[in-house]
Amino acid sequence: MKSTLIFCAAGFTILAGAVLAFGDIARPKETPSPVARGKSAFHTSLAVVPEAGAWEARLQISPESLRQLRAALDNVPADSSMAQNITNSSTRTIMAGLFMFLAVSFAGVWLARSGHSRNQKAAAAVVIAAALMGATAIITRGNAGPPPGWSWRNLQQNLNGGTETRGSVNVEIMPEGSGIKLIVPLYKQNPNTDRKPGE
Amino acid sequence: MERAADFELKIWRAPRVGDKPRAGARLFVTMVLACACLSALMASWLPLQFSVITVFLFAGPHNWFELRYFVMRLPARFGRSRNFFAVSFAGIAVLTVTYISLPAFYYSKLWSGANWPTAIAVWNTLLLLWVATLVWLRGRQRHARDWSWAFPITFGLSSLNWLAPELFSLAIVYAHPLVALWFLDRHLRRARPDWLPAYHRCLCLLPLLLVAIIWQLARTPALTDDNGLAWRITQHAGAQILPNISSHLLVSVHVFLEMLHYAVWLIALPLIGVTAAPWNFKSIPLARRPRGFPRLIIAVMALALFLVGMLWMGFSTNYATTRDIYFTVAIAHVLAEAPFLLRMI
Repeated sequence: MKSTLIFCAAGFTILAGAVLAFGDIARPKETPSPVARGKSAFHTSLAVVPEAGAWEARLQISPESLRQLRAALDNVPADSSMAQNITNSSTRTIMAGLFMFLAVSFAGVWLARSGHSRNQKAAAAVVIAAALMGATAIITRGNAGPPPGWSWRNLQQNLNGGTETRGSVNVEIMPEGSGIKLIVPLYKQNPNTDRKPGE
Repeated sequence: MERAADFELKIWRAPRVGDKPRAGARLFVTMVLACACLSALMASWLPLQFSVITVFLFAGPHNWFELRYFVMRLPARFGRSRNFFAVSFAGIAVLTVTYISLPAFYYSKLWSGANWPTAIAVWNTLLLLWVATLVWLRGRQRHARDWSWAFPITFGLSSLNWLAPELFSLAIVYAHPLVALWFLDRHLRRARPDWLPAYHRCLCLLPLLLVAIIWQLARTPALTDDNGLAWRITQHAGAQILPNISSHLLVSVHVFLEMLHYAVWLIALPLIGVTAAPWNFKSIPLARRPRGFPRLIIAVMALALFLVGMLWMGFSTNYATTRDIYFTVAIAHVLAEAPFLLRMI
């Protein structure tokens, strides 16, 4: 009985010590938890301005952005961009594409059957193709421009240098938590080439 | 056959207002300018009040005048236009019934609000296809006219409609009043060609007035829509779809355009002698011809007059609900304008 008690006490002491000191087991490598995403309210611009003489950090919101924020809080649909509207519904995107295809096809057939001269037809075909490609590029924002966070690539450098950094920001409303959090894409600085986040 | 089915242009050539054509044109221009400027002023100054008053006073009567115009433009025999009118009437009936049933389906919870834009997009697509078919049929009636270009344009518009169905519907709300100006143009061409240049100069004033309204009201605060009626008026003008634009501006522009629409149907077209005297049923081919339906026409017009009275009574007792019902049912007159405008082209 006595030996059992001594054995249990020793085991408890070892376990307690192991818990308090995390034993001698190496701590697992901390992996950053993915940042939670909230409900997207609206898209606007943001300027990060380091100010040498400032007493405290200040957040300045324009009346227009405040109105958009209020609309989002009241569950009024914000004036989201055309691209956002399209990406919200795949059915509507498919239908829009189908009708655009029909429009171009019918326009081509009509053009071929019409009694215009060859030069006029060629000019009309070029105009139709240019209009179609332009509209598609504008509506879907194509893939021509850099990613939205590209303007933040020099943030660290600008903060150190005390200069302003301006870029686009997506305002999200979080279901819980307090305060305001600013998340900016982090770009690894390479003196030779600029690389996209995560590369 | 077609000659028999077509309209007699003689009835459009009413006697001139004055002895001198120029005096008539001057009077016409003065009235157009006064009406446009006064409407713009009132719509900018008191948009909600002006909207309530104009819809109360003019909505019913302008629908009665439009119905009379449509009946007057119906030929006693359709002849070669049989297909055109068959497609017209079928489209008006189907599109009106489906449009009226959309809110009914929504409020009866038969589908979720998430499907609302898709339902609107389907209805808009049907509307566009119907108009394109009418344009194509009308082109076939006219010799050596290939109007099949209507289909690529329709498909292009349908594509835009599917991208933003609610914005497309709002565009129809704002574009519909302008159709009346097109009607007036076509009738002036036939009845008063000497007034046409003056009318076109007056039309140049329209974008200027719109720019002035937008410039003046772009930064004004939103209208207070804390009561049901004001909320309905701002919603009808698109305040929910365009939250970043002042609802004051939206309502003002909408009321201004609506007022122009009413002025054309109630003042301008009767002034140039298009609709004849309201009680003169002999100007209606369907009532005048030996194989026509004079009693039916009189009964229809009397019933329409009764409905105008009912509409006024409804506005007096419950303005907001009556306004909702009116603007839902009134889609029929918006649709009916398409085939009759095409007959004028």
